[in-house]
Amino acid sequence: MTTAVAPPTTRTETRSRAHEIWRIVRLHSINPSVFFGIPAIILAGAWAVVMVIGLIAQGAGATPADLENMRYSWAVISPQWYLVVVGVQAVGLTFSFALGFGATRRDFWLGTAVMFVLVSVLFAAVIATLVQIEIATGGWGLGVHMFDALWYGQTNWFVDFYTAFALEMLVLFIGAAVTTIYMRWRIPGMLIITAAFTAVLLGGIAWATLTSSWAAIFEWFGALGLVGGFSLVLAIAVLCGVGGYIVIRRATPR
Amino acid sequence: MDDSRPIFIQIAEQVENDIIDGALAENAQIPSINEFAAFHRINPATALKGVNRLVDTGIVVKRRGIGMFVMEGARARLMEQRRAEFAAQYVRPLILEARKLGIDVESLAELIRSERTEP
Amino acid sequence: MTDTAVQASGLTKRYGAFTAVDGVDFTIEPNRIYGLLGRNGAGKTTIMQMLTGQLFPDDGTLQVFGREPAEHADVLRKLCFIAESQRYPDMFTAADVFAAAPWFHENWDEAFATRLIADFRLPAKRRIKKLSRGQLSAVGVIVGLASRAPLTFFDEPYLGLDAVARHIFYDRLLEDYAENPRTIVLSTHLIDEVANLLEHVILIDQGRIILDRDAEEVRGSASTVAGPTAAIEAFVADRPVIGRQTLGGLASVTIDGRLDPADRQRAAELGLELAPVSLQQLIIHLTGDDLAASSEGEEAA
Repeated sequence: MTTAVAPPTTRTETRSRAHEIWRIVRLHSINPSVFFGIPAIILAGAWAVVMVIGLIAQGAGATPADLENMRYSWAVISPQWYLVVVGVQAVGLTFSFALGFGATRRDFWLGTAVMFVLVSVLFAAVIATLVQIEIATGGWGLGVHMFDALWYGQTNWFVDFYTAFALEMLVLFIGAAVTTIYMRWRIPGMLIITAAFTAVLLGGIAWATLTSSWAAIFEWFGALGLVGGFSLVLAIAVLCGVGGYIVIRRATPR
Repeated sequence: MDDSRPIFIQIAEQVENDIIDGALAENAQIPSINEFAAFHRINPATALKGVNRLVDTGIVVKRRGIGMFVMEGARARLMEQRRAEFAAQYVRPLILEARKLGIDVESLAELIRSERTEP
Repeated sequence: MTDTAVQASGLTKRYGAFTAVDGVDFTIEPNRIYGLLGRNGAGKTTIMQMLTGQLFPDDGTLQVFGREPAEHADVLRKLCFIAESQRYPDMFTAADVFAAAPWFHENWDEAFATRLIADFRLPAKRRIKKLSRGQLSAVGVIVGLASRAPLTFFDEPYLGLDAVARHIFYDRLLEDYAENPRTIVLSTHLIDEVANLLEHVILIDQGRIILDRDAEEVRGSASTVAGPTAAIEAFVADRPVIGRQTLGGLASVTIDGRLDPADRQRAAELGLELAPVSLQQLIIHLTGDDLAASSEGEEAA
């Protein structure tokens, strides 16, 4: 077998960047239960619990006014904790696998971001729609509040969609971005980032307390309003997305 | 396959042995490179090297697109070659070992004769 | 189009004060089977991780298909790296891995993969987490073979695979390589099993290359001579000795360099026994601890 000059068979068709990125989206969704199935089950489970509570409450003769307290249940955001884990695993496990399959870090992160946006859009649409259904059916005929709870159901579908989307983006990107730090700098990196975050937080609290500006800060947050507040949430998510991109470009899988 | 010598030489020798003992007749087709490689679990480049050695010494001829065949008269030439090597390869070590054991050439010849008549 | 698959010069990787790969130079020619051999921690995996863009070199130049591999999609597309400790997404089944493979490896042969799954008796529908070590190795081997990547790396591909499965791997590899020549780099401890598959051997020890030769050249390039110490000393006088054991008045010495028929006859006359040294034994001699110091001198060999 002499040294052949011709390279081994390689298809000549050009591969577009969009293709490279899209295959990462496909990789993330090859097992749909991770991003879709399990969150849906968690949500459905929370809904079932809420319904049982509603039935018990009704049996005990509770009035719709009593059930108003359910607005403060966190059932509607129960899948969020799981989605932080999904964000962590998307980088912790799928990153290593995708690189083993010859994806670039850049395309992996962009594909992952596309996946996060798609998942967030879908979930936000589902939540916002369920809020409307719950309102229309009078709390599923029992006067319960699961989706029409917390800040949801105050204005219209679009605001609910936007706020749910922003929150969804934040939980996914925060998990993923923090994991990129681990992928690049391992345990020392995690310790430093935790220490730095804690220092900034404590410094901020100290500053606000010493300058007696807590009232002004709360006022500022209050002035942001619902949409403004969640725009801040979305901004943090985008920041995590950009930061994660910068960090992952030199990260090494385990 | 033994480790003391390059495998390609062993491949070539094996084909030569098959020709000498008649397993491969003259003009018969010999296995392909990939068949050699798969059978002996060796790198195809090594098998190719072994076969090329046979081509170079005129034992085997390549017919493009068909395969490789044993040359006419290959057996006779191999026999002649092997006979020439016989003394150096077998007889000399035999005499050396015999001398070490105090067996003289006459006794050695006698041993060979008696060995041959035994079943 | 470039001639070589891989061209590395002065390639270096450091982890703090520890230098895992220490300025190595080598080339990998296309369409050959290479053996990247050496002890645990010698730097084999680190080299392969740099070649596949998983790690960034600290020094030196590296070209894979004419370009630095890291973050270059056009290069990475031609590579397949079967890592010993490959991680898989949590919920993945083996079937998921094979479903995703063609998106990343354009030469993927579905029929070949299906046949290999049957050969290895792999429960493809089972979650990867639930597979045994051998079955996990089989997943990697199947991806590595069926992807038919122009440059494929197998890093210890068969941990936990039994002898039958390993021979299936060797057979399929040779068969498919014969039909679809490509560059394959095998890294393994089971040197005797793969020795005959290799066309070229690169031996690495403590981050440095100590042998880079055609496998045929290596075979029979060392011999062990055994017999009375005095006779041995006379025989090996001016030959490079890479191993030595003594027992009373007897010695067994391994020498580098091929023996010609005259040497063999002289050994016989001195009453010495000659034994071939397998590739594995040679590597043990070259990388063994007791000779770590003296093997430095062999580097030029």
